[in-house]
Amino acid sequence: MTIKAMLCSGLLASTLLAAAVHAAPRIGEPAPAFTAVDSNGRNVKLSDFAGRTVVMEWTNHGCPYVQKWYRGGMQTLQKDATGKGAVWLTVLSSAPGTQGHVDGPTANRMMKEQGAVPTHYLLDYEGKVGRAYAAQVTPHMYVIAPDGRLAYMGGIDSIASPDVNDIPKAEPLARLAIDAVLAGKPVAKAQTRPYGCSVKYAN
Amino acid sequence: MSFIRHLCCVLALTSAAPALHAARSEAQVSPRATVALLSATDVAAPGQTLGLGLHFRFQPGWHIYWMNPGDAGQAPRIEVFAPAGSVLGEVSWPAPERHVDGPITTFVHQGEVLLPFTVTLPPAFAGAAALSVKANWLVCKDICIPEEGVFRLELPAGTAQDSPDATLFDAARAAMPTRSEWRATVDAQGVLTLEGTGAGSLQSADFFPADWGRVEHGAAQTLSTAGDAARIALKPGPDFDPAKALEGVLRVRGADGVERALWVATPGESPVRTPVLSLAAADALPPAAPARPVAAPADEGLLWPLLFAFAGGLLLNLMPCVFPVLAIKALSFARMGGDRAAAVRLQSLAYCAGVVASFLLLAALLLALRAAGSQAGWGFQFQSPVFVAAMATLLFGIGLNLSGVFDIGARLASAGESLASRGGLAGSFFTGVLAVVVATPCTAPFMGGAIAAALGAPAPVTVGIFVALGLGMALPYLLFAFFPAAAAHMPRPGAWMDRLKQALAFPMYGAAAWLVWVLSQQSGADGVLHVLAALLLVALAAWLFGVAQRGAARPLGWHSAAALVLLAGLLALGRTPEPVAPAAVAQQAESAYSAQRLADLRAAGRPVFVNMTAAWCVTCLMNEKVALSTDVVQRAFADRGVVYLKGDWTRADPDITRFLQSHGRDGVPLYVYYAPGREGVVLPQILTPQIVLDHIAS
Repeated sequence: MTIKAMLCSGLLASTLLAAAVHAAPRIGEPAPAFTAVDSNGRNVKLSDFAGRTVVMEWTNHGCPYVQKWYRGGMQTLQKDATGKGAVWLTVLSSAPGTQGHVDGPTANRMMKEQGAVPTHYLLDYEGKVGRAYAAQVTPHMYVIAPDGRLAYMGGIDSIASPDVNDIPKAEPLARLAIDAVLAGKPVAKAQTRPYGCSVKYAN
Repeated sequence: MSFIRHLCCVLALTSAAPALHAARSEAQVSPRATVALLSATDVAAPGQTLGLGLHFRFQPGWHIYWMNPGDAGQAPRIEVFAPAGSVLGEVSWPAPERHVDGPITTFVHQGEVLLPFTVTLPPAFAGAAALSVKANWLVCKDICIPEEGVFRLELPAGTAQDSPDATLFDAARAAMPTRSEWRATVDAQGVLTLEGTGAGSLQSADFFPADWGRVEHGAAQTLSTAGDAARIALKPGPDFDPAKALEGVLRVRGADGVERALWVATPGESPVRTPVLSLAAADALPPAAPARPVAAPADEGLLWPLLFAFAGGLLLNLMPCVFPVLAIKALSFARMGGDRAAAVRLQSLAYCAGVVASFLLLAALLLALRAAGSQAGWGFQFQSPVFVAAMATLLFGIGLNLSGVFDIGARLASAGESLASRGGLAGSFFTGVLAVVVATPCTAPFMGGAIAAALGAPAPVTVGIFVALGLGMALPYLLFAFFPAAAAHMPRPGAWMDRLKQALAFPMYGAAAWLVWVLSQQSGADGVLHVLAALLLVALAAWLFGVAQRGAARPLGWHSAAALVLLAGLLALGRTPEPVAPAAVAQQAESAYSAQRLADLRAAGRPVFVNMTAAWCVTCLMNEKVALSTDVVQRAFADRGVVYLKGDWTRADPDITRFLQSHGRDGVPLYVYYAPGREGVVLPQILTPQIVLDHIAS
């Protein structure tokens, strides 16, 4: 490959990448399809859950904002949602060597220790799912309605802080969205400010 | 009781501690940032608007966030505690920098930044202004750490004048974004148009929206110019509304090549922002603050540290360090027999006075060291090799005395002598002093928290807590003073006492041997050589004294010789080498604690067990022997992939001191277990294998 060709393909790739980055999913439009491997090595496709409410939660156990929520009720949120028939996908987009990156068995052990009960824990090391959803922070939350359309994207609640004591004072944005979608109602605040640590994508 | 009165007296005397006058608070230092509260003025006048600011200096790569953090992160929050009736201004935000990390764009401050704000004192305000600020901020590099601090300023009354930091405020003001003169509008497609002289000749423009969601933070911005207008194409975000004001900072480069930061606002309703600053009454400062504005009266908050200190002092009596000294004391009580109630009372009071006086001295020393900016903690004096060598020599000398090589005065020479003599009382007093000195390497349960509370508290409380420790430690002997009848149950004096005295020499030799080993950790082989030379000379001097005491022909000559040899021994001690560099000391490098290593391991999701220890800390060594070094614990660590980090505080180490303080401690031992993704859990100060296993299994 000549240097010129390399430069050209590099430019093309970065343009495509930029396009992918900014093609953020939109509320009311079909949620981006994906296939990912879960912590038990199984392939998981979004289409597997057609007709069901899907909640996606971006995670990184080293992030103080994620730690805040695992001390302050993430597990309850998961139990309540899955108990009412929703699918809960915890997504890890931390690239190898970055904060929060763990292998499947470690993820399983941590979930057990923390009492976390997602339907699947997706290992998105290359950040494909994260970039498709334009996930920016941990915890970034998405809710997909049974018709496959994106119903909510944004913050887990309304107070951006790492302080667990702020959870009861905050508006529970993600819980309100999940409950509305499960009840077949429109989500009042469908897109909100996500807060937290940046997702540790591969460069 | 008279002791309560005594305690109150001490508190009252010391509550007139000098106030701190400074236009700059104490800095809070972490491996990421150094943060302090600054004032642009030195003094406070009624109705004056004070220029204050939170100043950050970052280690390379670390940053905090602007008013709109961008795609991730969080702006700092500042809570101001000011005199009642004060009016708070707003934070003047400097222009941020764009930080692009893959698909995530954030707006940050790095290097060094001052976040200025104003506090206007009420017109009727008189006197010195005590101002405190409680702030929390998220500091990030590859990972994010929430930090918080409490900062305190006290500005004396007077006519306003510039502080040494005023130039920093001037520089910050000069670099602040200025309000743009251009007419700004935004259309439904997100094109920001600026019209006015010079707008048409802009070379570059970068817009930082002041609020989340108005425009996509990371989207490319295209600048085009025509006539006297500049157009910047922005990508509308989820909260974009052309009818509402779009506000933010515009970094531009003009035709002259000069870069400027402008504050741009389009017409319309301004968005409601979560306030960064909040105001609270000056007396509402959180209780955990490292510096409190005024000495707190003796309330419930003070009672608990005092009780814990008292209990801790009592338990010190059972620690192995103190035991040899107590044995001597017990012996002297036994000597007195049962029929000298008055003498027993005086002796025990003298002993208690010695204990309490030593604790007061320790408190004064700690306060002085802290005032001088040194990081001191419980047992800090054992970090000095000269001190350790001197203690080894002293204990060895006492051992020689107990063995009968020489006698001190006439007191121990015959058991029947009058014990109420001056020499006897002084002896009891110094036994108390010695008990405290040797007690320091042992941290009894309850004591860690009490001492940490003491060091974080105002001076009178510190002194009160140390007095409580002393009273606790002296309590058993105090009981003799108040119930002299108890002494009647002591066994009758007899020949057995000489044998007991000689036997008690051996714990002393043992303690000296242990301290020589401690010294070998601190100063290496040279240090051991010095202390052994000192011990040899002290033994020679003791023998010479003994000869003189046993009726030698020319006692003066023997005494002089003894004094000379003792002097030589002391000289050898004084030349004990300083601590050797940590690298030269045998320590497993792979398990040595550093703040960076702990952060890295936690970031990597590894479970970590941190053991903060010191060679002179007997409690630490016991815990390592009976719990941490056992096969079962070591195997459990290996099975679970727990990384064992050991911090050695034998020599002063600011990194470890900071770790101890961040856990509310001022001495070792400290054991903390970090499960993956969890906060650290502090283990008890007395360990068993089961306690360790329970913690790492949970």
